[in-house]
Amino acid sequence: MGTPIPREIHDLEHERFLEEVHSFEFWFHSVEGYLSNTTYGHRADQVDESPTDPVERQHLITVLCNYCIGETAALEGASGLIAIAPNQLTQVFLSTQVADEGRHLEVLLHRMRELGVAYPAQETDRRASRALKQFRVELLKLVEGRDWEAAIFAQNVILESLEFSVFRAHAEIADPITKQILEGIIKDERRHIGFGENELGRRLHGAPHIRTRLARVRRELDHLVLGMLEDSSREIGVPADRQADLARSYSQCVERLGF
Amino acid sequence: MVDPLEDTDESAPTQRRRFVLEETGFDEVPARYRKFYRKWRGAGDQLGPNEAVCPVCKVVIRSSRELWPGDRLYCMPCMSRLVVVRGADGTLEARVSY
Repeated sequence: MGTPIPREIHDLEHERFLEEVHSFEFWFHSVEGYLSNTTYGHRADQVDESPTDPVERQHLITVLCNYCIGETAALEGASGLIAIAPNQLTQVFLSTQVADEGRHLEVLLHRMRELGVAYPAQETDRRASRALKQFRVELLKLVEGRDWEAAIFAQNVILESLEFSVFRAHAEIADPITKQILEGIIKDERRHIGFGENELGRRLHGAPHIRTRLARVRRELDHLVLGMLEDSSREIGVPADRQADLARSYSQCVERLGF
Repeated sequence: MVDPLEDTDESAPTQRRRFVLEETGFDEVPARYRKFYRKWRGAGDQLGPNEAVCPVCKVVIRSSRELWPGDRLYCMPCMSRLVVVRGADGTLEARVSY
């Protein structure tokens, strides 16, 4: 590694900062802070206060099914992106994202089992939002097409910022175990959304023509984004007039990027 | 016309205030960096003169120095580089610098 870290972190040179935060070492000591005393994403001694009302319980299971599809898409997307990443630093960062997404999928499947779902994978396939499933297909097409910018835009900007907002809204009203699981995932998502926005921001600065292509990708995916938001809001129980709040993180990000 | 020399604001500080950063309970970055960040505590929360909110991930970023326009900040939780600017309402805010 390069020069030592100064006492005031904000004095660090930008290249050195990126080297530090994209490292596996940084990731490892970050997640250690909030995951080391948990079992499947929550404190082991937490009493389960999940909904006893059958209708509410089924809503929660459906929400978790949607989260599983989103996390599976991100897991497959991030894994595929490693092969087309522009440099080793980015490859290493994406390997940490793959670990995060794999953990998210595992804890969500585990939570479904705790709620009495015998076959979570089958249930996920049966219940998940059509828009989300289609988004997964479109994301993987971009990855298979080796379109780095478009795939990062779809995955780390669109998908991750929607997850970030939806998980935050859900955590406010969820039962304690689901809340703890979501809060752990949200902490991981900060890295993913930040990576996506900053990577694209740097690339757009250096090659403005990329903007036209990404604007087209955005137009093609926007109806799926709206569908995902509507489905998630309905199942979580977010009032219609607050749905715009869920889209805010995504809309602010694309605005900062100049779309 | 006002002489530019007379127009200088003599009350403007010329030296930055310094702050001793203590742990805030923030746990999303390695231990040695945690004092530079804290959670936003909601509507009643107030930023100190050495603090700014990250527009990307909404974490509060802290410095051991009073923030002035033009300062660089790093948000480690979301890996963003930010620049401190004076917003339309006169308060300091952080903007992403790609």
